[in-house]
Amino acid sequence: MSDAVMGAAMPAARPVSRAAVTYNMDVVRKFTIAAMFWAVVAFLVGVVIAAQLAFPIMNLGLEWTAFGRLRPVHTSAAIFAFGGSALFATSFYIVQRTCHARLFGGEALHNFIFWGYQFFIVMAALSYVMGFSQGQEYAEPEWHLDIFLTIIWVAYGVAFIGTLFLRQEPHIYVANWFFMAFIITVAVLHLGNNVALPASFFEAKSYSVYSGVQNALVQWWYGHNAVGFFLTAAFLGMMYYFIPKQAGRPVYSYRLSVVHFWSLIFMYIWAGPHHLHYTALPDWAQTLGMVFSIILWMPSWGGMINGLMTLSGAWDKLRTDPGLRFSVTAVGFYGMSTFEGPMMSIKEVNGLAHYTDWVVGHVHSGALGWVAFISFGAIYYLVPILWKRAGLYSNRLVAWHYWIATLGIVLYITSMWVAGIMQGLMWRAYDKLGFLQYSFAESVNAMHPYYVIRMLGGVMFLLGALMMVFNLIMTVRSASTAVQPARETAVAGA
Amino acid sequence: MHEQTSDLVVGLLVLLLGLVGLVMASGALDDAMYVFGLSLLGFAVVFDLGLVKRYFDRIDAAKAGSHV
Repeated sequence: MSDAVMGAAMPAARPVSRAAVTYNMDVVRKFTIAAMFWAVVAFLVGVVIAAQLAFPIMNLGLEWTAFGRLRPVHTSAAIFAFGGSALFATSFYIVQRTCHARLFGGEALHNFIFWGYQFFIVMAALSYVMGFSQGQEYAEPEWHLDIFLTIIWVAYGVAFIGTLFLRQEPHIYVANWFFMAFIITVAVLHLGNNVALPASFFEAKSYSVYSGVQNALVQWWYGHNAVGFFLTAAFLGMMYYFIPKQAGRPVYSYRLSVVHFWSLIFMYIWAGPHHLHYTALPDWAQTLGMVFSIILWMPSWGGMINGLMTLSGAWDKLRTDPGLRFSVTAVGFYGMSTFEGPMMSIKEVNGLAHYTDWVVGHVHSGALGWVAFISFGAIYYLVPILWKRAGLYSNRLVAWHYWIATLGIVLYITSMWVAGIMQGLMWRAYDKLGFLQYSFAESVNAMHPYYVIRMLGGVMFLLGALMMVFNLIMTVRSASTAVQPARETAVAGA
Repeated sequence: MHEQTSDLVVGLLVLLLGLVGLVMASGALDDAMYVFGLSLLGFAVVFDLGLVKRYFDRIDAAKAGSHV
């Protein structure tokens, strides 16, 4: 079923004469529901594997529930299922609204993208639990799933870019540039990293065409740019639409947003080798990755400043709109993560941080603080509009969600900072005779209290997400959020 | 794109995927491929039946004079 909704002008768009457009919001609603479903799954599995690290008995002695198999279920559910579904939802919403055009390709294509993507996620998770994996981080699915995902991704690109061609606006809003970079670059990364020869057409086993250090380099070119283009560029597209909308203010500097876009996409692609410091990778390549990572500070913080300054004159809304609070805090975490990442790429710092839990803490300050929070902010904004409700069921519950999730992140990342630095120091400590001062098992033992704190942080984040699900269900179902006849006109123009 | 063209192109693509799934399941050498092949076939059948349903729903809606 489709919605007839009148388009609203973006802050920077030139006003043009408008005709009524029937948007396809059905696919946006489906992806929004999927995002919340997968968020809970991802956080729940995250809590389980955090508990496994603190209490190994939680592995249950079964191969299907062992940490090694559940860990990719957690990462894929968080990044591709939750993050991906949130991106599909918001990109389809934004491209239609800012282009003032119905989504290209017909409902059959949109349904294929939605159900095909969900099918891929379920099949990938099932294959991990069954023990099938390429063994490459964030690229675990075997060859047949990679091909299936490629088909879905091409369909996504056709629908998104096709809509840009149909636009009735003369201008392509900056959020759409970020989404386009995300779609095109993720396609290139996925195809480049997954070039593999199947053992047989009938076997879920393949061999990468790259070997040794070449394989490692291509893997981290992929892995780092999955962070750069999936978890950063695309969510920046979300930021550039929803923060101005929530704040009711135009983007602070549209020129800065364009500079942010081009500098970010040019530099990110070179930073991958910083994952391979002190390995067999040639030293010049390691240094190249480090230098580009440090240069990335500038566009990242330019974007952060642009996002935060958009609230100029509207900071008071943070008191009354807890959804906006999520979005703005997300930008703060974006700034923090994009400071910490380049710092950790400096070789001397990396010598201490690499292979420790500091990296895990860094990743989660980005994943929970930036990716999840900016998505929560967008979804809190979207749900009343998509389901034509007067507002959220409970702003108080959103505020509870905000504080419990923030506290959860703080517990998570501070415990991992301490754990990671302690690990790094223990591993490099020598006694006066030149022997290692601590065995590896001693460093594992020392981690226990921090792993418990990390697990508690995860539990709090999960509780917050469950509150959000309850709040959103009640927003859709409760009579208290129904639009009164006199208010319908205002909502239709929102 | 016209809805019927979209239905046809996507329907045929999914039909092809379903056939590939069936072939994969038929010769599968491991559990993962067997499960994937059969699931892909099931996905294709359900998806294409959904397309057929929506096609007739549209006709019924047009007959009833309502707008979908």
